[in-house]
Amino acid sequence: MNFLFGSLTHFEALLFFALVVSVTFAFLSKRGIVERAKYTLWAFLAFLLVAIGIGWLMYPFSQ
Amino acid sequence: MDETIKREAVKGNHMMGVVAGLAGWVVPGLGHLVLRRWSKAAVYFLCVGGLACAGLAMRGGVFGPGAADVFDRLGFFADLGAGVFYFLAHQIQSAGPDVAHATGDYGTRLFAAAGMLNLLTVLEAYDLGRGGDAR
Repeated sequence: MNFLFGSLTHFEALLFFALVVSVTFAFLSKRGIVERAKYTLWAFLAFLLVAIGIGWLMYPFSQ
Repeated sequence: MDETIKREAVKGNHMMGVVAGLAGWVVPGLGHLVLRRWSKAAVYFLCVGGLACAGLAMRGGVFGPGAADVFDRLGFFADLGAGVFYFLAHQIQSAGPDVAHATGDYGTRLFAAAGMLNLLTVLEAYDLGRGGDAR
């Protein structure tokens, strides 16, 4: 597994986490392939938006 | 196969719910496999297993049962949710944790998230096994 995940950057780890959790939530809460695909995409983009937004909000405090 | 036909394939009862829930905890997706929910079983195994293995490959920490701190204890219960991946953590990542670096710390969170996700799938497997109308 090290060759697959051992060298992930922090952003790649974020992308992977967002994708996996979105897919799982879609299968838990939706029925049908179209509904699940839509929910996966929506949740994935929401994860990214929130993570990048919080990152920018924290930026002034890192100086 | 249509969802209606699938629900009829396995008659639900309390014991089936418990068996499916326990199976799903031990091996992510196994509970759904017992209930013949093939696609859910495969997706849950890949997602929970992938997240757990990623966490371990990033050299995340795994909480033990003897934690004194309440947050460590919560971490232990979250990690335990990953089932077989928790018990095989040291075999999967023999180098051990390295939480001195941010990557290792992220790995710790990824592994805990895998455990929590699996607990959600266990609840669904239990509900389906009882004959519930989970999606």
